[in-house]
Amino acid sequence: MTPEERKAFEDKVHAYVGREVNAPQKGKDDVNKAMIRHWAEVMGDENPAYTDEEYAAKSSKGGIIAPPSMLQIWSMEGYPMAHNPSQDVQRELHNVFDEHGFAGVLGTNTSAEYYRDLRPGDEVHAHTVIDKISEQKATQRGIGYFIETVTNFTDQNDEAVGKIIFRVLKFTPNDSNDATGGDDSDDGMPEAPTRIASPRGHDNKWWWDAVDEGKVLIQRCKSCQTLRHPPRPMCGECQSIEWDSIESTLDGEVFSFTELHYPKFPGYQYPLVCAVISLGEGTRIISNIVGCEPEDVYIGMKVKGKVEQVDEKTMLPQFYPAD
Amino acid sequence: MVADIKDKAAIVGVGSTEFSKNSGRSDLSLAAEACKAALDDAGLKPKDVDGMVTFTMDMNEEVDVARALGCDDLTFYSRVPYGGGAATGCLHQAAMAIATGMAETVVCYRALNGRSGHRYSEGVSGDLITGSAIHYGWYTPYGLLTPTSWVAMYHKRYMHLTDCTEDVMFEIAHATREYAVNNPAAFFYKRPFTREDYDNAKKICDPLKLYDCCQESDGGSAVVLTTPERAKDLKQPGVLIKGVAQCSGKDQEEMTSFYRPEIAAIPEMDIAAKMAYEQSGLTPDDIDAAVIYDAFTAIVLWQLESWGFCEQGKAGEFVLSGALRPDGRLPTNTHGGQLSEAYIHGVNGIVEAVRLTRGTSVNQPKKDVNHVLVTSGVGVPTGGALLGKMD
Amino acid sequence: MNKETLQYQDVAVGDKLPPLEIDISSSLIIGAAIASRDFTPVHHDKKAAQECGLPDVFMNILTSNGFMGRFVTDWAGPESTVKGIDIKLGAPNLPGFVMTVTGEVTAKNDDTGVVEVGVMGENNVWGMHMGGSVRIELPKSDQQGEV
Repeated sequence: MTPEERKAFEDKVHAYVGREVNAPQKGKDDVNKAMIRHWAEVMGDENPAYTDEEYAAKSSKGGIIAPPSMLQIWSMEGYPMAHNPSQDVQRELHNVFDEHGFAGVLGTNTSAEYYRDLRPGDEVHAHTVIDKISEQKATQRGIGYFIETVTNFTDQNDEAVGKIIFRVLKFTPNDSNDATGGDDSDDGMPEAPTRIASPRGHDNKWWWDAVDEGKVLIQRCKSCQTLRHPPRPMCGECQSIEWDSIESTLDGEVFSFTELHYPKFPGYQYPLVCAVISLGEGTRIISNIVGCEPEDVYIGMKVKGKVEQVDEKTMLPQFYPAD
Repeated sequence: MVADIKDKAAIVGVGSTEFSKNSGRSDLSLAAEACKAALDDAGLKPKDVDGMVTFTMDMNEEVDVARALGCDDLTFYSRVPYGGGAATGCLHQAAMAIATGMAETVVCYRALNGRSGHRYSEGVSGDLITGSAIHYGWYTPYGLLTPTSWVAMYHKRYMHLTDCTEDVMFEIAHATREYAVNNPAAFFYKRPFTREDYDNAKKICDPLKLYDCCQESDGGSAVVLTTPERAKDLKQPGVLIKGVAQCSGKDQEEMTSFYRPEIAAIPEMDIAAKMAYEQSGLTPDDIDAAVIYDAFTAIVLWQLESWGFCEQGKAGEFVLSGALRPDGRLPTNTHGGQLSEAYIHGVNGIVEAVRLTRGTSVNQPKKDVNHVLVTSGVGVPTGGALLGKMD
Repeated sequence: MNKETLQYQDVAVGDKLPPLEIDISSSLIIGAAIASRDFTPVHHDKKAAQECGLPDVFMNILTSNGFMGRFVTDWAGPESTVKGIDIKLGAPNLPGFVMTVTGEVTAKNDDTGVVEVGVMGENNVWGMHMGGSVRIELPKSDQQGEV
């Protein structure tokens, strides 16, 4: 889009701000015990206030209530959504985005307030307005705009019973999308992501192959016996290219560490702590500290490592508190 | 032996594009615009350019930038590796080319869609941009994937060994933010922040939180260098390269030099500093202001020590004294730095260092700034340059 | 589900809620979409979900919202009252995943008796599915403490 085209497009979508999506509508079903029970059943919700009349009557609730999270359910359009959804103003707005290449749609946030518990027999009326459209944003999913709608809910007495703000992102999908792009294996199940493995070349393959067999090796110069890690083809002390290796006992001490909070990568288990560990043999290794809370790790902590399978495809040394 | 580089080349023009989170343009368009702005600033034409330098990480081929700009023949082109470690490395290459006569007028540029395109914060998980996959393979299986995580590893150790607290890190972040508030080009222009904002921000990699980390930005910056003789006839007062050095230290890795006896240190910068001081005949006392590479708050501390503004391990104290502030001992990152202006891999910092020397920095208007330090990214092979006024 | 309702006084900021593990199946995703009257095809028709770039049907927002509420009322008990739920949505929940919901009391309002609980739901494949907060009013037994 040229700057002029972008401005014309943004003016067009911003004109929707403040418009009602449709006239205030009464929900197709009033609050009722059957729909409450069906919902609680699927959700595995055993709250007796929703389904146990005897209990509910005696409790401070004074009778059955609907789960507050059902608020929006009372006004859903239902089966027509599958084949012939109503062409309301919100869909019209989405179409404008679609036509300009922002075809992706993703619900990003909801914010609900429930003013009172709803009970069987209550009517629920919904009135939705397009409230905000953001500036253009670069998001992880791609470039797009956030659209915020506000729905106010009222009852048979025209009293407010709740409010829901709903935010969606209309975006141009990135080509290089993240895990949610999803690999599609034969059974339709995405493959569980695994840790990012090291490529194996001439100078490091032997080391990773040993890890696959449960051992952590340290490269040793055959000429002057100096240990070195990570492996490299020549001894920096005597320039010999002859080497062998010893197996580490994996007794070590934390030299430094960090807890990784953000971003979280698929295939890794959080909380996740990485550390520089000084091994008893004198070299250092980078690994994870596991088997304790992140806040219990400290510099100088004694640790003991072992090689473990950490996911379907990955063997790695992992270090535990030594005691 | 001390390199004979002092006063052999002068920066005569600087320029940048708009900094944004979504430029909507190609990297090449940003590079060409930044170079053109720097040439205009100098009063030079693209046809005057005969040399070009950029980062190995830059996506824009020298020949493409030259054709876009309309340059004639280039007799010198070179690239500097190691991410932000290349920032003043570009000056280093350009000054050597000019000093030896390989070229007369050299443009250094860096342009990237660092927010809307490839984001470095996404780590080395996908396609590696540079360096060897084998090297990062020692870290990726454990989840140590991002620049923040590598810097956090050094800084945890630094905090363990020194008095550095979160107060110190906040002061660095806050000082840059207060500068950015006055800088219309900065992302945080007119957007002050508080200790509460800092404390409540999300944790990235302990001990670094969101505002310890730089802006991811789209944009480009460029500087033009030529001989001091030619500089005399141009539009702007020339800014001389007094000293410039690069160094890769013993047992250096790219961001992960975790195998040295001590990791709470950047010995390569100590050496670059010593070289630049020797070349220029200057000492830390002669330096009036600085642009210190600030991809993260933490790395400013280590560099203050390397360049001799305080003793080893005492940078926290120095910073808390208000030294980085407008009237402090060493006004630093007066454009807002990469923490608060934009992250153009340090080249926007060179632009600010030139403005400081010219007396046109928005935050140091009336100061007589004779000598300015500007540095490159650390954790990688790095360097720095000392700039001075032309007589 | 805790059948004894917690009292406002018994809860402190920092209290952790018992984690809840939810096995996500096609039956759950489709059943809950239909029970919530959400017939958008991507929540019951695998082919429609695949056209949207996902390998299978995925959980609708009303269900995620419902689990936020259930997780907190399971802990608080039947005489609590949910006053609000804020959610930020992350990666989708697909059949075969396991979502672990965790939470912690983050704030208390002595005037209203409303407790805020920070809630996070992470699945074992793609990580964060939902994060946010639930505001829940707990009964105050004003006199009991005086006895």
